[in-house]
Amino acid sequence: MGLMNGIDEKLVRKIPGAPVVLASAEWAINAGRSNSIWTLTFGLRCCAMEMMATGAAKYDWARFGFEVPAASPRRADLMIVAGTITTKMAPLVKRLYEQMAEPKYVIAMGACAISGGPFIYDSYSVVRGADKVIPVDIYIPGCPPRPEALLDGMIKLQEKIMKQKLTKAAS
Amino acid sequence: MNFQEILEKIKTKHEVLESKEDLGVLNAYIATAKIAAVAAFMKDELKFEQLNFITAVDFPANNAIEVVYHFFSYETADSVVLRIKLDRAKAEVPTISGVFKTADWHEREASEMFGIKFSGHPDLNRLLLPDGIESPLRKDYKNPDMTPLPKA
Ligand code: SF4
Repeated sequence: MGLMNGIDEKLVRKIPGAPVVLASAEWAINAGRSNSIWTLTFGLRCCAMEMMATGAAKYDWARFGFEVPAASPRRADLMIVAGTITTKMAPLVKRLYEQMAEPKYVIAMGACAISGGPFIYDSYSVVRGADKVIPVDIYIPGCPPRPEALLDGMIKLQEKIMKQKLTKAAS
Repeated sequence: MNFQEILEKIKTKHEVLESKEDLGVLNAYIATAKIAAVAAFMKDELKFEQLNFITAVDFPANNAIEVVYHFFSYETADSVVLRIKLDRAKAEVPTISGVFKTADWHEREASEMFGIKFSGHPDLNRLLLPDGIESPLRKDYKNPDMTPLPKA
């Protein structure tokens, strides 16, 4: 997919007379990462239904390089927090996140994962947003977000990955 | 059976403190200590074989917690609600899990949600709530995360 999307002119130098394309290592690594993201098979509440629909035949996130859902956090690159995190579930969500291998990304899907959603006022048992527990890369509003919205968020995540630097900024 | 007939039948054996009709269903208040005996009577003699649920309602204004037992009969398709009034500070009621096995988990839930002690219960642990949340369904429950809805 990355190649089909086209390579940025700046990154490519053609050597005259030879069919060789040179691109930066950064571009190659980021393209590899962003086009082979495995999602953790993991849903917390009603939003998980839309997440399953996004993975199934009609919307099919595999078209965009998300391939298979990984049944173990150790093989997963992306955690989609699809639903409400309760105080009882929060330590387990955190443990799953910690078990994932770097590089790892998190999408907060739906109002619940963003802020507690419908439970923001009077609930005694809901964590007010996934970012209270784990770092979040992309927020997708909706209750629940439609599959198109989730796909859009996932593609935004790919764009974010493409901007990653190989080197750390000097602090 | 209409609710009056059921009430008369209960009254033949057990004392009913108060009763009212709610949506065609008999709500009978009985004495706290009698609940296990009345439940057994409902099950064995009036054939209310199903205990649908046990829950509680908090009335801070009256300083009362009411425990609510909902019975159902497969034979006559009737429902009956038994209620018990408890003091909020000292909420304790005998278990009926010896009569209805299903009462076991219902009582555990009512216990963690309202802080009611079901004396004689075989295992009054928490059912679903994690540690650190005490009696959240009492009206005076406070939680730092809760921001009450603005009054309209
Ligand atoms: S955001 Fe809405 S659809 Fe999603 S988990 Fe929360 S309540 Fe359910």
